[in-house]
Amino acid sequence: MLMNQGGNSDTGAPRDPNSLEACQVVDASQGHTSAYASLALGHPPLPSTSWSEALSGTMHRIANRSIETTNSSYHHDQYTEPPSRDAQDGLNAASHASTSSSLGSASGPQEYAGYTSYPSSSDPYGYGNAGYQAYYNGYQQQTSHPNSQPVGAYQNSGAPYQPLTSFQNTGSYAGPTSYASTYYNPGDYQTTGGYPSGSYSNQTNLWNEGNYVNYTPHQFPNYTSSDSNGAHSSNTVAATPLHYDQHYKQWADYYSQTEVSCAPGTENMSVTSASTSDCATPVVSGGYPNSNSQPPPPGTTSWKPESSSSELPPLQAGAMVCDTQNGYWKHGASGFQNHHVNQMPSYFQKPLDSNPPLYDSFQDQQKTACPQGPNLQYPATHHVSQNYQPPLQTVQSLDTRRVSKLQIPTNPRIASNLALGLSKTDKDSSTTDAAAKPSYISISMPKSNNKVSSLDDADPTLKLGILPTSLRAYVERAFGRFKDDSQLAACQNIMKEIITKGSADGTLFTRDWDTEPLFPLPNMDVVKKDSVHFSITGSSLPKYKSPSRRAKSRWEPLPEEKLVDKLASVNHVSVKNVSWDHLKESGRVFSSGKTENKEDSWNNAKFAPLQQQTPSKNIQRPVKKQRLIDGFNAANIDDASSDSDKEQGLTAYYSGAIALANTPEERKRRENRSKRFERHGHRAETKHFRSKAFGAGNLYTRMASALVLNKNCEDGASRAVEDIDWDALTVKGTCQEIEKRYLRLTSAPDPTTVRPAEVLEKALLMVQSSQKNYLYKCDQLKSIRQDLTVQRISNELTVKVYETHARLALEAGDLPEYNQCQSQLKSLYADGIKGCHLEFSAYNLLCVILHSSNNRDLVSSMSRLSDEAKKDDAVKHALAVRAAVTSGNYVLFFRLYKTAPNLNTCLMDLYFEKMRYEAVKCMSRSYRPAVPVAFIAQVLGFTSVLATTEGRDEKDTDGLVECEEWLRAHGACLCADNNGEMQLDTKASSSSLFMPEPEDAVAHGDTSLAVNDFLTRTS
Amino acid sequence: MAYLSMGEAHRRITEYLNRFSDAVSFQDGPSLKHLLSVSSNSPNLLSLADSLNVFQDANRLIKQSDRYSQFGEMLASLLRSFQNYRIGHLVDAYNAFEKSANYSAFLQEFRNWESAWAMEAMYVIAYEIRVLAERADRELASFGKTPEKLKGAGSFLMKVFGALAGKGPKRVGALYVTCQLFKVYFKLGTVHLCRSVIRSIETARIFDFEEFPVRDKVTYMYYTGRLEVFNENFPAADQKLTYALMHCNHRSEANIRMILKYLIPVKLSIGVLPKSGLLEKYNLVEYNNVVQALKSGDLRLLRHALQVHEDRFLRSGVYLVLEKLELQVYQRLVKKIYIIQKQRDPSKAHQVKLEVIVKALKWLEMDMDVDEVECIVAILIYKNLVKGYFAHKSKVVVLSKQDPFPELNGKPVDS
Repeated sequence: MLMNQGGNSDTGAPRDPNSLEACQVVDASQGHTSAYASLALGHPPLPSTSWSEALSGTMHRIANRSIETTNSSYHHDQYTEPPSRDAQDGLNAASHASTSSSLGSASGPQEYAGYTSYPSSSDPYGYGNAGYQAYYNGYQQQTSHPNSQPVGAYQNSGAPYQPLTSFQNTGSYAGPTSYASTYYNPGDYQTTGGYPSGSYSNQTNLWNEGNYVNYTPHQFPNYTSSDSNGAHSSNTVAATPLHYDQHYKQWADYYSQTEVSCAPGTENMSVTSASTSDCATPVVSGGYPNSNSQPPPPGTTSWKPESSSSELPPLQAGAMVCDTQNGYWKHGASGFQNHHVNQMPSYFQKPLDSNPPLYDSFQDQQKTACPQGPNLQYPATHHVSQNYQPPLQTVQSLDTRRVSKLQIPTNPRIASNLALGLSKTDKDSSTTDAAAKPSYISISMPKSNNKVSSLDDADPTLKLGILPTSLRAYVERAFGRFKDDSQLAACQNIMKEIITKGSADGTLFTRDWDTEPLFPLPNMDVVKKDSVHFSITGSSLPKYKSPSRRAKSRWEPLPEEKLVDKLASVNHVSVKNVSWDHLKESGRVFSSGKTENKEDSWNNAKFAPLQQQTPSKNIQRPVKKQRLIDGFNAANIDDASSDSDKEQGLTAYYSGAIALANTPEERKRRENRSKRFERHGHRAETKHFRSKAFGAGNLYTRMASALVLNKNCEDGASRAVEDIDWDALTVKGTCQEIEKRYLRLTSAPDPTTVRPAEVLEKALLMVQSSQKNYLYKCDQLKSIRQDLTVQRISNELTVKVYETHARLALEAGDLPEYNQCQSQLKSLYADGIKGCHLEFSAYNLLCVILHSSNNRDLVSSMSRLSDEAKKDDAVKHALAVRAAVTSGNYVLFFRLYKTAPNLNTCLMDLYFEKMRYEAVKCMSRSYRPAVPVAFIAQVLGFTSVLATTEGRDEKDTDGLVECEEWLRAHGACLCADNNGEMQLDTKASSSSLFMPEPEDAVAHGDTSLAVNDFLTRTS
Repeated sequence: MAYLSMGEAHRRITEYLNRFSDAVSFQDGPSLKHLLSVSSNSPNLLSLADSLNVFQDANRLIKQSDRYSQFGEMLASLLRSFQNYRIGHLVDAYNAFEKSANYSAFLQEFRNWESAWAMEAMYVIAYEIRVLAERADRELASFGKTPEKLKGAGSFLMKVFGALAGKGPKRVGALYVTCQLFKVYFKLGTVHLCRSVIRSIETARIFDFEEFPVRDKVTYMYYTGRLEVFNENFPAADQKLTYALMHCNHRSEANIRMILKYLIPVKLSIGVLPKSGLLEKYNLVEYNNVVQALKSGDLRLLRHALQVHEDRFLRSGVYLVLEKLELQVYQRLVKKIYIIQKQRDPSKAHQVKLEVIVKALKWLEMDMDVDEVECIVAILIYKNLVKGYFAHKSKVVVLSKQDPFPELNGKPVDS
């Protein structure tokens, strides 16, 4: 919970600026530049904001629906991951179906509505229309021109899309020139050019363009060539489509209803997508988010209408940031013409049109997917595409164009799709494999290397050199604030984003960087989020497989919210990071920590893939993911297509695919995959964390993963918190260091810092044989205990640790620590774990006697003693001490002290003062006329034997002196008798005795907290 | 069990429902009371339960008539409780009964009824809920599950208490519920929860304690007296337990015995010894040796008695109280020595040599050395069980010439 809150708050912090900006955007919808600029700044945080707001608003109001919608949106996010998993797992069909059904039941229409809308819109590709064209124009300009120019171009176009395009483009293009060169060189870009003519969505262009070009040529062949995967991919694809169909329909319904449950999620999603688009083009994860995010937008639109107007600003902001798409949606659905008025006119003609953008994206994805699904997919795609072709063609001329340009033999549509898909794949591969290249390359991407290089080249554009000096100053300012590398790394990402955006909307050179407020420090949140993201993916995977849904419990809403929040933000961030990291890798980094960054990026990249699979197979896996998504998209598209006939055909096809997906082989594969994942994923995670998050992220990760598990495993379905399988979450430590300082956990433990049982055993031995003081040992033991706890180890080792600590605490008089151990031991013994339970029941008894005068407790703990215990020496001793104390028999008490077994003496020590005082009071009352101090010293335990004048040894003399001092300190009247022996004058003392204030008293009442005293006692 | 025809079952159920609604509509508390006592095993209710097992669709009957359906929820749960009770499903019986008694049902109705006519029915409910909960817990424990029903009954009774504790005619029932709560809390070992209830009973000025029914007062005093025993507040415990003893029905010997079980140790601690006839009459023989030890100053006997009955004393919670009697036994022993010395040589009787005491203890097989005995003597003087002083040099207890062994006379030993 704390974690979550922390996460939320973090997101919240950035929120304000964003919302403001968002408002600005809304207001200044017309003024693109300004709005964008603001957006650029606010962008990073935006996703979170939108989420949180959306959540707060919608979630509550639309209880179930909102949640589910969130899920749906969430779902989308997950999509990136889950779909991929699904695809891999072959669960796609099942899971999706389930999701869809679940969603359908609750908010079914709503969730998928987004998707459906996509397809529908996609069909309409007509989308492109006027606005697009304008957009395209701008776009082309960009490509052709330096970055700054593109911005201008965008502004000029003024079309609502342009902003989107600009953003996205910027993101991807930021480095643009180089990018353009790399990406576009192939001439694929021109395909984009072709776009203008077509009604294509901007996003597609943005996303795919770069990749597109490169990949189409390369990957395509690869894929086609690879046969092994083909079947598989086809299956997945098919499965997805089905899913989509369902959704699609639902969506349509949903759309018509204009229900808005989704909005929150959507917004976020949109934002995410935007962000992704910005930087992520290259990144796999980025690509995913986009696709995912897109679906939500529709939801958003629908949602917005319902939601109060107040909420709109943020939403719009998000929309703005992300894409015009969102805006479109909004306009279409809710008719938020405010935003769009300027931009959207062309688009808005049809409400459905609004969908198209998303749709397009989907299509793109689909395309990507197709290519990704290496071998067989193609055929599948072909079929699908063929089915679609009619609609597609009708809708879009673009495809044909593309095809022509690409010169792919397949249908224009298919070709286009493929190209897109390839591009995506490339992106993924590039990012993912930038680090992991080998596998990737080996698999399907012969030219991935090339790409990478091109990317590297492209990156330079972003280099500081290009930036205006004022901006450079700004950057320096921003970086000056960081304390450590991790922060720096996170901030670099942000900076890059900002710059990218700036360049995208053209504000890079126009903005007054000197007065620009610094973006909020990432505080590792970003990092954390990233880690969270990854972990989520990783952890969620295993669970994902179990589609079982749980009835909602009262717990659900909370976790879900958080989850959604996190996911959105996570995705967003992660995407950014990844992309940026990638960029860094390629060669340009703002500053130090390159190696780290690299690693991180690698990790990130891997992670995304990892979600589904092992590092080695990263390449394929990501592809598959994409495939899934793409497949989904494709399905959507298909569905979207107005032709019912086609739809039917598709359905049939998909159903076949689904069947395939469920075959035993597939299942086996899935299992293997998941196993692999578990193994590798862990490593990767660890690495990631180490390099970047310093464990801070881990907490988040864990928490998030728990939440994810709980909530999301399955798209709409959520689980009750109490149903979380904590066993699956139990940390398995990997730390091999024997010594470890105790640090109170404030979040989920990091396995890299947790020691496994064997190491803990060594650590215990080390502590036991250590010569250092109690403070050190206590610290070590506490860390051992912590490690045991987080790993949920409760065996004899645990008992040993607690017993050791309890004994040490007793020796040091550290009662609070002792009590902790004692209560733990109590339950451990109760579980039947062997230990020195008699010894400790004696301690317990003494504790009750000496430190609480609660007779009921005493009686009950006495009555609980077994016969066996009563025969134990330690327990007998404790009982005798109790009797002495209750009767006030000080002689007996101090005798028992001398014969005390184990550490009973330590507990009795704590009662000394009181016992002695009572004794002296008693003596001074009953003895007359005097008592020799030597006698007192003897019976009260100051000396071991009655001290006689002759033959006392030194120790006894010391004890006598001590006794004398003690008596004086308590107001006793001492006098010497004729023999010079010191006597206690009882009569005088009886009225003068007092209990002195303890010298070590401290203001807060707990002497054990007085550090100095504690140190002297224990050192 | 004789075969029960469907028609007969139907008739019996209807009859029950009629009686129930009649009792409510005529505000006939005593009749209603009998209709609610699940655990009474009365023939009528048993046959009703059998009928319910034959005729499963009792809910339909309840819904059929407006007369019943206004109590539909209450009756349905109640019938289910009867049914489950009959077939030994005690947990289910408890659950159903609590549902029937709970806010939405009987308790709610009870709150709405102006007068306290249904008080007796409320009593029955409070009693039944506790008894059923205890049995349900036993059942749960036998399944290896956590017994938790009694706890639930406790919180339900607190609600009932809330409904009764205010002003008005219903307050008279508050003490009964309080006593049921005591029983629950004592059984659960959560005695600290009693305090809030006690406070609300004892601080109320609107309602004089004496106006509560005697039986409740006795029960209340018994439990609060026990609480005082735990706190070793012997005078208060004595007062409360004595009140309970005085007002307890003389014929209910079991209750008297329970009271005496606590009252006797309390009385012993303040120096009042019971007649042996009393102990025998109420079968409290475990105290015999204790009393005997006090009379004779036989420390060994006391320790032996404590050891033999340790479990029992620990369970009832009087162990520590009895253990503290040791000092009185020492006092008795010293007094005996003093009396003997006085018979021999009255002039030196007030000086008791320590070694004499040690020797006496040795006869009792109490192996204590001089220092220890010295300590005991010092404590005796300190606690005012012996008047005088101890001379360390000569190891002699010098007793006061006047009343060297003061009687406690109802006062506790100084602490």
